[in-house]
Amino acid sequence: MKLDVRHRTRYDYANPAAFSQHLLRVTPCTSPGQRVILTGLTIEPEPDEIGHHRDMFGNLVHVATVTRPHTSLEIVATSNVERATPNDIILSASVPWERARASALGLDGVATNAAIAPFAFPSQMTQPDADIVTYGEKSLQAGRPVLDAARELTTRIFTDFAYDTAATGAETLPDESFRLKKGVCQDFAHVMLAALRAQRIPARYVSGYLRTIPPEGKPRLQGADASHAWVSVWDPALGWIDFDPTNDCIPGQDHVTLAYGRDYSDVSPVSGIVIGAGRQALSVGVDVLPVEDSERV
Amino acid sequence: MPNEALTPAGALRPHWARIAEWLDTAGPGALTEVSADLNRLRSESGLAYAASATRPVSDDMLPMTVEAADWAKLEAGILQRARLADAAVTDIYTDQRTLAAGLAPPGLVYGSPDFAAHCARWERPPRNWLGIYEADVARTADGNWVLLSDRIDAPLGDGWLLANRIAFSNAFADLFVDLGVRRLATHYAAFQDFLDQLMGWEGRLVLLTAGETDPRFFSHAYLARYMNAALVEPADLTVREGAAYVKTLGGLRRVDVLLRGVEDAAVDALHRPGRAAIGAPALSLAARSGNLRLINAIGAAAFNHRALAPFAHRLAQFLLGEDLLLPDAPCLWLGGQRARDQVAAEPETWTVEDLTKPPRTQVAERNAGDDAARTLFPERFCATRMPPLSVTPCLANGDVVAREWVMRVFACRTEDGWRLAPGGVAAPLVAGQRAAAPSLGYGKDVWVLADAEARQVPQITTRLTAQVSGAHLRRTGRDLLSRLADELFWLGRNAERAETVMRTVSVCLERHLSGNRVDADPAILAMLAEIHVETAGEDEGIARYRHAIDRLVAGDDPMSLPSILRALGSGALRARSSISVESARYVERLCSDGRWHQTGPVRQNAALARLIQDGLQALAAFAGSTQENLTRNYAWRFLQLGRLLERGVQTAALAEQLAGQTRENEQTYLRAWLTLSDSASAYRSRYMMMPMPAAVIDLLVLDETNPRALGYQLARLEDVLGGLPNEGPYRRADHRLALSMLTDLRLVDADALAAEDDDGARKDLVRLAQRAQEDLARISDLVAVAFFAHADAPEALVSHARAQETG
Repeated sequence: MKLDVRHRTRYDYANPAAFSQHLLRVTPCTSPGQRVILTGLTIEPEPDEIGHHRDMFGNLVHVATVTRPHTSLEIVATSNVERATPNDIILSASVPWERARASALGLDGVATNAAIAPFAFPSQMTQPDADIVTYGEKSLQAGRPVLDAARELTTRIFTDFAYDTAATGAETLPDESFRLKKGVCQDFAHVMLAALRAQRIPARYVSGYLRTIPPEGKPRLQGADASHAWVSVWDPALGWIDFDPTNDCIPGQDHVTLAYGRDYSDVSPVSGIVIGAGRQALSVGVDVLPVEDSERV
Repeated sequence: MPNEALTPAGALRPHWARIAEWLDTAGPGALTEVSADLNRLRSESGLAYAASATRPVSDDMLPMTVEAADWAKLEAGILQRARLADAAVTDIYTDQRTLAAGLAPPGLVYGSPDFAAHCARWERPPRNWLGIYEADVARTADGNWVLLSDRIDAPLGDGWLLANRIAFSNAFADLFVDLGVRRLATHYAAFQDFLDQLMGWEGRLVLLTAGETDPRFFSHAYLARYMNAALVEPADLTVREGAAYVKTLGGLRRVDVLLRGVEDAAVDALHRPGRAAIGAPALSLAARSGNLRLINAIGAAAFNHRALAPFAHRLAQFLLGEDLLLPDAPCLWLGGQRARDQVAAEPETWTVEDLTKPPRTQVAERNAGDDAARTLFPERFCATRMPPLSVTPCLANGDVVAREWVMRVFACRTEDGWRLAPGGVAAPLVAGQRAAAPSLGYGKDVWVLADAEARQVPQITTRLTAQVSGAHLRRTGRDLLSRLADELFWLGRNAERAETVMRTVSVCLERHLSGNRVDADPAILAMLAEIHVETAGEDEGIARYRHAIDRLVAGDDPMSLPSILRALGSGALRARSSISVESARYVERLCSDGRWHQTGPVRQNAALARLIQDGLQALAAFAGSTQENLTRNYAWRFLQLGRLLERGVQTAALAEQLAGQTRENEQTYLRAWLTLSDSASAYRSRYMMMPMPAAVIDLLVLDETNPRALGYQLARLEDVLGGLPNEGPYRRADHRLALSMLTDLRLVDADALAAEDDDGARKDLVRLAQRAQEDLARISDLVAVAFFAHADAPEALVSHARAQETG
């Protein structure tokens, strides 16, 4: 399915900012199951400098700098991507989780896979505490196929946690959301990663978008689709397989992948610094539409 | 136990015989003298001051000596370790051959919070990641050198080494010359040549420090001066078009080489949100584009301290194709199961510590740390064991005793490869304590003895000597950092404030003792003292006066002397690089004078009077030395600006309070005003009579030749503001306002200002004085906006709005 994505981020400042500098990770890349056809990026006011590079995870990062006084900044990223129907995977046919770990750590005579090793260890935002370790161990019996365990963990988090946008913030760490059993997609992904990485199973944080389908008979609200996050788990034979603990599913045609990293801090879509702005107000809107529908919005 | 001073047969080594002879002839008195000398040199150089946070374990000031052959062995080992650390860090951020080959476990790299992902896999990585290498080493009981710690994150302890050497070589001048100790200058000249070659002719070198609160600040400031580098803080840096710039009065100035004295994690606020709140955003991108050379590069922290130790043998063979020359003290990486089992089996043998962060304290607490963290993140820890060490003669309470010792050594890259400074800083280990490292600011100077051949060769006069004496200055006036301009401005204001308050206290004390009934009237004394502090109106008479003086001398109001001196002292430290050593010293002495920090009731008059007199003298010396020693560049102008502005405000306030209203016994108020303004003798020499209102107002308000008059401040202020950088064709707003104030003042006469209305109020004088205070405050704000604003530290953008943003 072809999808059009429009992601708008707007900052309004109380005082004119003399200078601001931004890291933008808002441009999707082609990856297995996803072909990127077209991307666009507009920034208002027009930045005095803009450059781009790839980070160590392969994501495209734009660096934008505004050096004139400005009281607002709006970033609009658009893209047109094609999502493939996911292959059917027999989860129980994957390798035991200990083997996935061995390939990341270079244990038991298995050569280190340097490309996946960065994702096997607890990062700043995916540090487990003893409770999360115990929680994960319930799905990680010795010798259990890694994807089978990941699928169960996905369902358990979906069942055990309440979706609550007010309970946590962007900087919330997994031990807190685990204690609350509340949070949003970012928190669920962090908890799942913390539980997997406590055993040094390679797994990565995926940022992206999710198309929402409006309730029967209601029009789709503009900007109502969501920035989203889920988890990808490594299987030495099958590669990276995605799991979405927020929706208890394996991502498919309604998900669009934006960036990969160890946790949210590696892939936050817009981050940066500003001088002299005073109070900041932020608003974000995301639209994900099938190409045939997008004409009408 | 083997002793550094003895041969294996037990005889005294020749150079130690010379030292022993010196000790015998000199006697115990001489040692005390040397000790005092050393402390004086240290405190004069600022060494003791900046390091006050880290107290010395012992006051041992006997130099440590190392013979040529021993040093040669260490040197070869250290230079190899520097190459190894450089190669290992470079590899891990580029090809990662060591990971693929299984020589460095992934957990060592990716399990570490110090791995800098934003510096990995660049399209054109720098060829070398390290330019400075420091290490802690020790000599084992069997006479071999061992490595205790790689210090590669933000080393730059060279300033400490240099200052220590100057102090020791002065205190022990005869011994130092007699023994033919190898000098440090050649080493740093070679480093300077290397940096010059990196920068090119027009290049700019800066040293990045976290500022005066960092225990290494003194070393940074000293080294920056020695290497002729501008001392900058993270907030001074900005990255534009892929290059790094410092913010100066003259605008942005490009930086080519940066000596990094700030830890990895605290640099680049753009890529380390939350961890590096303080600035230097995007610094890594300037390095990534090849426009900035960082020494050392960001990312080095991942292999700091003991991270390489458990793997050094294999890595040396793999990366250098060499056998390791200098082994590590035993160290196990706890990321491996076998190591964990071994440590669990031998808990008495091993000390668990953080892998990459050396303990900050002198004494490493045995097995300290969070058990849970060690279970959850074993990759971040190591277990170490200190082997038995050799001993060396140390001084303790005047006696020579034998102690185990460790030492910090300093290496850097030069045009001919790595090079080790011939010297170091050593620290004795006190029995029962396991020192992690010499504590900053203190230590025994390590003297490397030249071998017989080298002693014949005369010392080469180096290029550096010429540079240090000022022949090669790269800094120009307009390069003054915006932040420093700000500091200097406040240094001027605070110095003037301190003087005003001290003068007030002094006048009060004199009057109190004068015996003149009117002058010593408690109500008048209290009124004078209360010009600077508001007191609760409960007390009356002499109690009220005492209370006000007490607040000024020992309180914590903004205008109390302890508060002002605190601000003055820390300001002088921060602005140290822009004022002369002598000027800074006057302020440091004044502000660190213990008498200011005694708490308790109002002190005895005599003691307080002495303290105030000493204070006023120190401030006069500071004012004089800045006049004498600062060239009339921008630094001087901002210091001057602060002074003039503050004195203008204070003069106007006195005019309003002491002459705004006619009172009974007006003479005593006018005399107080003259004395407070240090103009009593100027008045007498001009008028030879009792103070008359119009005459006093003329001398203290309108006169542009009296350095204590408001008119003088405004005339000078207008002049100084006119000399500051100006971008547009018209005068800046602050300059215009000063010009307008000056013109208004020139258009009134003293008789008009002295005229009183029916209620005895001098309305014109009060209006003028109030307007002057308001306008001067506005000028201060305008100057801040025009010159200091972009020195503001950046803030992080707010995090994402959750409700709409996250799924």
